[in-house]
Amino acid sequence: MLKNVHEFRDPVHGFIHLDSDERKALDSRPLQRLRHIHQLATTYLVYPGASHKRFEHSLGVMELAGRVFDVVTAKERLRDDVRAFLPQITNDDALSYWRRVLRCAALFHDAGHLPFSHAAEEELLPSGWTHERMSREIIQSREMKNIWNAMSPPPRPVDIEKIAVGRAKAKDLEFSTWDRILSEIIVGDALGVDRMDYLLRDSYHTGVAYGRFDIQRLTETMRLLPSVYNKEPELGLEEGGLRAAEGLLIARFFMYSQVYFHSVRRIYDIHLKSFLRKWLPKGKFKTTVRAHLRVTDNEVTAGLLRAMANSKRPGHEDAKRICGRGHFKVLYQRDAKDMSLNPQAALTVYKNARRKFGASDVEFDSGKQKGGALDFPVLTANGDVQSSAKMSEMLNEVPVAAFDYVYITPERREEAERWLKANRNRMIKKREVRK
Amino acid sequence: MNDLQKSAVLVALAAQMDKKGSRCSETHMQKAVYFLQRLLAVPTNFDFVLYKYGPFSFDLRDQLTGMRADGILYLTPQPPYGPSFVPTKLGMGLVKHFSKSVGKYHKKLNFVATCLAAQNVAELEKLATALYVTLDKKIRSVESRSNAINELKPHISLEEAAAAVKKVDKMVSAARA
Repeated sequence: MLKNVHEFRDPVHGFIHLDSDERKALDSRPLQRLRHIHQLATTYLVYPGASHKRFEHSLGVMELAGRVFDVVTAKERLRDDVRAFLPQITNDDALSYWRRVLRCAALFHDAGHLPFSHAAEEELLPSGWTHERMSREIIQSREMKNIWNAMSPPPRPVDIEKIAVGRAKAKDLEFSTWDRILSEIIVGDALGVDRMDYLLRDSYHTGVAYGRFDIQRLTETMRLLPSVYNKEPELGLEEGGLRAAEGLLIARFFMYSQVYFHSVRRIYDIHLKSFLRKWLPKGKFKTTVRAHLRVTDNEVTAGLLRAMANSKRPGHEDAKRICGRGHFKVLYQRDAKDMSLNPQAALTVYKNARRKFGASDVEFDSGKQKGGALDFPVLTANGDVQSSAKMSEMLNEVPVAAFDYVYITPERREEAERWLKANRNRMIKKREVRK
Repeated sequence: MNDLQKSAVLVALAAQMDKKGSRCSETHMQKAVYFLQRLLAVPTNFDFVLYKYGPFSFDLRDQLTGMRADGILYLTPQPPYGPSFVPTKLGMGLVKHFSKSVGKYHKKLNFVATCLAAQNVAELEKLATALYVTLDKKIRSVESRSNAINELKPHISLEEAAAAVKKVDKMVSAARA
């Protein structure tokens, strides 16, 4: 007899389960390509264990999305005020359909990632293109439509794409309350499983323990609850899960400050982008699904090694910096005292350093954690629904991670450090504001 | 308007809301900026879509979070409600630095703060959605706009929608006077 449920061993979630229809989607070219896209770009050059790929993350997000769906739609956990608002939730056929949509959306939410994930995205796609748009193109491709249509029940591609990328990246599509809830199970700022998986998985592979939190408690206590402000249902938590949500937020802050915003990781991304601009035809990735499926980290890595070995190849200098570990060094980084004098202190240092040492010897990078203040409904022990912001001061007290780095070529580091020491105070006090 | 100038305008808005005795939650900031941008043509250039509690900008959400990271705004708990944005000394310094740009919009900031400061989140959702169907969807009659609001937000009754549309019409007239 043919097997209908397939299990995959996973270091983060134990077992991941798929049925035979989902297995066909997993075996498609767009998903198999993710076996060759590093989850954390060049981070493995800093944390050697970070060689995991988008493929296992996609599986993990699918597994978690299915678990959360089963928890929040379980009949014994549904409230009458939520049932009245969401007719889908009382219909077994509709539930089965939307469970399928959600899991496929979770599986494909990252299918559009370029080689080396986020590292190469900005500036290397034509205007208006993002990896989310590419994911939507893939979900709507002929290859995938054939797979969706053969499923039982067959999910509509437009439902999959909207749930996969969420409202922020599908502004052209209309979202019902139900659509919004499902997309927030994946990409939600507060309780989205994409973030839960990547924090745990990145923490596991980098060896940075800060990324851990009580995921079992968190997912088991998720509920559909009426908003405390307008009664519209949304994803919330039982009170017993609140500490786990706080743990997630703290984990996120530490992972951003220790891993995602690590200064050496960021400069490798800059060197890689610089290499790709020279290596790619016309300096951009192509945006057809066919072209997208042909390029992975493997082709780029082969290109890097070839360029490093031959000074006549485009991107030779950048390739040497990446493969030969000759990356730029931090000259200056975000400093709260300097920012109190000049909110753009780092940019000011960068502009002055570029004037002094030349544009090719100086680089600048800056970023901040995204997302908003957290406020979701919490079911208290006595059956009331309260705002999380009211019940947990910690949720909005966790700092926001941010960085500014000015880098200098290693060959001029000492000279640049002497220059900075002599001129830092004068430069920063003389406020320079970007017009 | 560059990012820093936008930040200065947002700090000035939070300060105005505070002056009017309002808490300044993220929803208050979202809706107030939507009114500033859409009704009063302040060029903050945030991209709004219809979402939870009416028009919402993901860019604005990220900008506010970035301002917290930069120590320009901070969140303070306001029991029995959720947290509220409060400008820091550095934030007020930014307003001073851009006094010319911010000063240009002073009357508009004051207008929005006066209209919205006392509203709760549910009321803000109704008013902002009413402005959305009026200006973005360009629907004319009160009845059609009320129907559109009820269709977009089924938890808002037709009566509540009609009341919000009438309030917004008064605000539009006052803003254009």
